[in-house]
Amino acid sequence: MITLTDFMLVSAALFCLGLFVVVSKKNAIQVLIGIELMLNAAILNLVAFGKYDRVNNGGQMFALFAIILAAATTAVALAIILNVYRQYKTIDPDKINRLKD
Amino acid sequence: MTATVANIDNSQIVTLVLTAVTLPFVAFLINFLLLQKSKVSGWVSTAAILCSAILAVKILIALWNQKPITAQFAWFQIGITRYYAGIWLNNLSVLMLALVPLIALPVHIYSTAYMKHDSGYGRYFTYLSLFCFSMMALVVMRSMLLMYAFWELVGFSSYLLIGFWYTRESAAAANKKAFIMNRIGDIGLLVAIMIIYAMFHTFNMDRIFGEAGLIRKSSINGLVWTTLFEHMSAYWQYVAAAGLFLAVAAKSAQFPLHTWLPDAMEGPTSVSALIHAATMVAAGVFLLGRFLPFFNGTELHILAIVGCLTAFMAATIALTQNDLKRILAYSTISQLGYMVMGIGIEAYPSALMHLVTHAFFKCLLFLVAGIVIHEMKHIKEENNLDIDPQDIRHMGGLRKKLPLTFLVTIIGALALIGLPLTSGYLSKDGILIHSFEWSEDNVNRFAFVPVMAVITTWITAFYVTRMVVKVFFGELQLLKSNPALSLHLTDGGLLYKLPLIFLALCSLFPLFSFNPLSYEHSWLFNGLASNFLVQKNNYHLFVPIIVGLGSVTTMYMAYLSYGKHKWAFPQGGFFNRLSSNEWYIDAFYSRVVVKGVLAFSCALYWFDKNIVDGLVHLLERIGLFLSRVSAWFDKYIVDGLLHTVAAIVEAIGNFARRFQNGKVQYYLYSMLLAVVIVFVLKLLIWS
Amino acid sequence: MMQALFYLMAFITLGSALVVAVAKNLVRSIFMFFVTLFGLAGLYVLALADFVAVTQIVIYVGGILVLILFAFMLSGKETLAIAQQQTNRFISLNNLPSVLLAGLFLVVIINVIFKADVNNLPWIKAAITSQVKVSDANINNIGINLMTRYLLPFEAISVLLMLALVGAAHISRKEEGSI
Repeated sequence: MITLTDFMLVSAALFCLGLFVVVSKKNAIQVLIGIELMLNAAILNLVAFGKYDRVNNGGQMFALFAIILAAATTAVALAIILNVYRQYKTIDPDKINRLKD
Repeated sequence: MTATVANIDNSQIVTLVLTAVTLPFVAFLINFLLLQKSKVSGWVSTAAILCSAILAVKILIALWNQKPITAQFAWFQIGITRYYAGIWLNNLSVLMLALVPLIALPVHIYSTAYMKHDSGYGRYFTYLSLFCFSMMALVVMRSMLLMYAFWELVGFSSYLLIGFWYTRESAAAANKKAFIMNRIGDIGLLVAIMIIYAMFHTFNMDRIFGEAGLIRKSSINGLVWTTLFEHMSAYWQYVAAAGLFLAVAAKSAQFPLHTWLPDAMEGPTSVSALIHAATMVAAGVFLLGRFLPFFNGTELHILAIVGCLTAFMAATIALTQNDLKRILAYSTISQLGYMVMGIGIEAYPSALMHLVTHAFFKCLLFLVAGIVIHEMKHIKEENNLDIDPQDIRHMGGLRKKLPLTFLVTIIGALALIGLPLTSGYLSKDGILIHSFEWSEDNVNRFAFVPVMAVITTWITAFYVTRMVVKVFFGELQLLKSNPALSLHLTDGGLLYKLPLIFLALCSLFPLFSFNPLSYEHSWLFNGLASNFLVQKNNYHLFVPIIVGLGSVTTMYMAYLSYGKHKWAFPQGGFFNRLSSNEWYIDAFYSRVVVKGVLAFSCALYWFDKNIVDGLVHLLERIGLFLSRVSAWFDKYIVDGLLHTVAAIVEAIGNFARRFQNGKVQYYLYSMLLAVVIVFVLKLLIWS
Repeated sequence: MMQALFYLMAFITLGSALVVAVAKNLVRSIFMFFVTLFGLAGLYVLALADFVAVTQIVIYVGGILVLILFAFMLSGKETLAIAQQQTNRFISLNNLPSVLLAGLFLVVIINVIFKADVNNLPWIKAAITSQVKVSDANINNIGINLMTRYLLPFEAISVLLMLALVGAAHISRKEEGSI
């Protein structure tokens, strides 16, 4: 029997890995991947809890919405990364410290 | 004369005197501040001295043989002692007061022409006015302190004028020499003034030396010198007298300190005429006149001997000199020696009368020398010759070229020799006659003094004749070597002639006495001699005759020697060398005194460097060490505290700065760390 | 059986995520992310959310990952090289602080999870009898719920999606001149 706690432990581990990626990586794309990892950890929680909502399917619904939102954010974020690259010729977030003037 | 005095009261007189004294100073200020470059300056000075002369003569007429006038006001106060500035007018000072501008006036007029082409024209008259002011103020001052101040000022302006052509090295050396020599005398005067003040508690000369002055109430008993106020060892009196003697010797060029005067001829000739022949050098004699009651018998004897010696020495030196101005300078020293001797033998009126007459004829002779030198320089420049224009060996035959100059020269020369009908005869005979009387009074202990004086007179006659003959008679010596000389010689314009004529008239007898043969009838003598009894005896007959005949004889011999070349002195003998080397006195000074002083300075320098500086360096080291200690303390303790504070602030700043480094991930990291810390704390608190 | 599958899936997911985190090569980490997403889809299936699992694969794997790959390739050759070199090089942060932070977070979250004791929550206990069954027609239910109960969020999210896409297209277009 898979308990809720098991899912949550997996999701916690996944979240922490994503956190690590976000904080440590020197590449905006990898940072984005880290964000996706954290988002997926959250979605996993939603899905796990959604198992106990048979009528309304709240967990699954919000999981779907979250996936779609993730797609939207990714699209926008990637567009921004491309623009940043065009502007600064780098995608290292540490080096992007100048305002556009 | 008495009538005129009655309607001029004292305050008016004082005002007149002050005006007369101040006018040259005003001229000095105007020239100094406004007219340094202008040719007007000469006329400003001349006008000032003219007004001064008129006023001074008026004062002389008004005050001659009157009671002395004093005036003063409180100058300053130290403690409870008040110091006064004032004037003291007696016969001596009004006479000098009139004499100075009367001599200065022709010199001024002469100078306007003589210095016309000099670049330092304005400067020259500035100095000249300063000198006139100081000299006139010197003679009227009542306080010894102020008199000393003007005494210094006279010396200073003389220094300026000797070094007038300061670019010449010899002029710079000469004025330095004059200044140093005068300093020696000044120190003596200062010491004397201090001792006198200590004894009499006043600077007022009339209270000390005047009639019924304090000096008459003092006495020397054994070794104690007693005045109304104090008594101290008699040696101090000798010290003061020696100081006064030094002052006189320096200023009036007497024996030990006379060497500056011949060198002072580096100045313009007109300056030599005014300062180094007529007025300033007479200041020493004037000082003796003022301080006369101070000297006791022995000291006067010393004065007489020194004066006589100086007169004789200078006359012998003048015999062989070839520089026109040096001859005149040594003759001045010689005549000043007469004056000092006159004071020493208590022929006070004759000495001062000689001062006055000498001023006129010596000034005249110097002005003549100025013209002669000027003309010689003219020849030199016109023909591009390399000669010394002052050397009489190049001159000769100027009698026909410069007739007026020749005429006045004869008058001046006769006055200098002291032949009858001239003023010089009146005064010099007075001294000579008195010297014989004095010698007799002293039981002929000092018989060599009058004899020497008479011999000196004869020598004087000789060298004066030699000079006149060499300059004016015969043929121009330059023509012998350069026959093609072009000569354009004149007496000069009115500005040259007028002063000469005026001074020549003043060198004749009528100004002083209507009896050309008897000095006792001179108004001047009688005015000064009021306190002295005149003895009538044989000397009054014999001395003039002997002196006169001797003089004429030597003059004739000199004329034969230099005019006709009948005989000549043996050249190169001991006496000749002694004379032409000026008795080796300068050489002695430079060997002994200058070298000694230099050696002493070297020793002092060594002492200074090794002992004094050593101490200073030791102190310096100690100071350095202390300052190092305090620097260390400052650096590590005081600054350390400050630096600690600063470092803490800096560390905080650096720490805080890291949160603002513009790195997104760092911000995120900090944020999450904060969250985690909150959680951890919370967990810890829960558990 | 289910248990074993769950552990397998969890292992795949976490392992590939770990490779994503520590991989030196950017391309490798992207492809490992691909594996992670599949693992997650498997976990969703195990949580009886098959529709979500399929959506996950379609959108994430088919959309986002491809998008990331394109972005990566579009961002230039030098960047590629630099990115490859700099994968494990850190200028301002070392690995250690990040690891520490992540570890702390993990400890905290696990702590919270055990403290919360989610298995024994009241509403979980109440719903334990009516939980989703394997045999349920889940997709029907989802579709009905989407069109009735969650209609407003559904419409809102579709507008948002369109805005995001238009915006992304606008942002990423080549700028002509300066704005």
